[in-house]
Amino acid sequence: MSTVETHADPHHHAHDHHGPEKGWRRWVFATNHKDIGTMYLLFSMTMFFVGGSMAMVIRAELFQPGLQLVNPMFFNSMTTMHALIMIFGAVMPAFVGLANWMIPLQIGAPDMALPRMNNFSFWILPFAFTLLLSTLFVEGGAPAAGWTMYPPLSLQTGTAFPMMIFAIHLMGASSIMGAINVIVTIMNMRAPGMTLLKMPLFTWSWLITAYLLIAVMPVLAGAVTMLLTDHFFGTTFFSAAGGGDPVMYQHIFWFFGHPEVYIMILPAFGIVSEIIPTFSRKRLFGYDAMVYAIASIAFLSFIVWAHHMFTVGMPLAGQMFFMLATMLIAVPTGVKVFNWTATMYKGSLTFEPPMLFAISFLFLFSIGGFSGLMLAIVPADFQYHDTYFVVAHFHYVLVPGAVFAIMGAVYFWLPKWTGHMYNMKLAKTHFWLSTIFVNVLFFPQHFLGLAGMPRRIPDYNTQFADWNMVSSIGGFGFGLSQLLFVYIIWKTARGGVKATDKVWDDGMPHGLEWTLSSPPPYHSFEVAPEVK
Amino acid sequence: MAATALNEADRKRRVRRTALLLTLVALAFYFGFIVFSVMRAG
Repeated sequence: MSTVETHADPHHHAHDHHGPEKGWRRWVFATNHKDIGTMYLLFSMTMFFVGGSMAMVIRAELFQPGLQLVNPMFFNSMTTMHALIMIFGAVMPAFVGLANWMIPLQIGAPDMALPRMNNFSFWILPFAFTLLLSTLFVEGGAPAAGWTMYPPLSLQTGTAFPMMIFAIHLMGASSIMGAINVIVTIMNMRAPGMTLLKMPLFTWSWLITAYLLIAVMPVLAGAVTMLLTDHFFGTTFFSAAGGGDPVMYQHIFWFFGHPEVYIMILPAFGIVSEIIPTFSRKRLFGYDAMVYAIASIAFLSFIVWAHHMFTVGMPLAGQMFFMLATMLIAVPTGVKVFNWTATMYKGSLTFEPPMLFAISFLFLFSIGGFSGLMLAIVPADFQYHDTYFVVAHFHYVLVPGAVFAIMGAVYFWLPKWTGHMYNMKLAKTHFWLSTIFVNVLFFPQHFLGLAGMPRRIPDYNTQFADWNMVSSIGGFGFGLSQLLFVYIIWKTARGGVKATDKVWDDGMPHGLEWTLSSPPPYHSFEVAPEVK
Repeated sequence: MAATALNEADRKRRVRRTALLLTLVALAFYFGFIVFSVMRAG
């Protein structure tokens, strides 16, 4: 990565340009990337709490063996809705919000390339999730067949079925439009001199993620369209009775589903690659290798989908291929972990909240990666499949992985966005509470899974009681800790100690975003900076 | 000045072209998988 310098006046405020609209029009008709980014982030946080409250229902029911609080059907709805909301409503929109805020600032562009489409892709989401959440109140209850929506089970969903399908189509359309906007912006709006290999890693990771989105979201849309026609129009794509094949649905779903996992983690890699060099006061070790590693992971994500379905039965050659291809992902991932570690090596480290979250990401995401390797081994997977071990694995990837990276990003860029520095002590308290409780929540689930506890059940054998109680305590603690996060953000947005333009003056922040004022002007980079 | 306007027009053209191309790719994946499933069922 090259040094980015700008000859443009960093405080170039447009004297002849209007500021934001007043009142609700500013948000409903927003085309400014910062406003849309803010809306995405607020929407995502709302969904975190909606999905999180469903997780609390799940953990409350599992606190003790036996059926305590909810009936099994509602429990299944909670697991299904929790996943759909957290994936499509919380994690993905959070990354899109960060992309909206940061990509134009990082590449020296005045805004996203397609601002009206940007507005449209955001405003689709509240409608999609209102539709999805309203299924909780329809006859037959909310979808309960799991977020994977495997037929024939999912075809038994009641009135909620077409609502779920339409909601997923809307979410997909929103994601595809967002991805198109990201690619078009990066490919066409970079400042003069900003070559691809000078782009910040966060922008790079998003460019690759956006290509993944365009390739796989339509596949999900196609799969659920076929479910819809099977349900209402008499087709038999996935019905053996009519010559179809339910296993084909699983292949198509996971052709989307596995890259989807990387859609939720590649931007996190980009964020960590921004934070670690800043607080190590060193250049990122092996910038080019990091870019190639992200691209390799993205490519490999297309050829490993069947490791999610080893137990359906497949030829030995198929099992071997998907097992080995999956294990191959450890190589570029190892390159990344090595490079982050090497960046910190002999660095002048300090441990501000973003760095704490990044280091925690490094350790805990690696645990999720290692358990993923265990699951890639075919004979072992036959034992682990559909147990709590799988639940522990993907939650380690997604919570201390993706979610911690999002929190780290918020703590990293919040002073830039608001112009105010947050309370360090509170932020560090939030970090420690989150890190302790996330491990109390998810680590025991490894033991439960290895002992044979199946996933997606509201009741269990008494032998699993102790670790379930520990896990639930961790869940409640983690959920409550996040209220502190909301308080810190709210307090910082309202005021506080003024942040400098570079924000992390003691660190080594580099990138065009730090050349702007804190907060940046409403219309930034109207004169393109020149990157040396 | 004229060169800047030309560049801006050129950039708008490139933006439109890239967006259109990506939309076509997305549609190809959507219909491609449905057609593939129809063929396989047949």
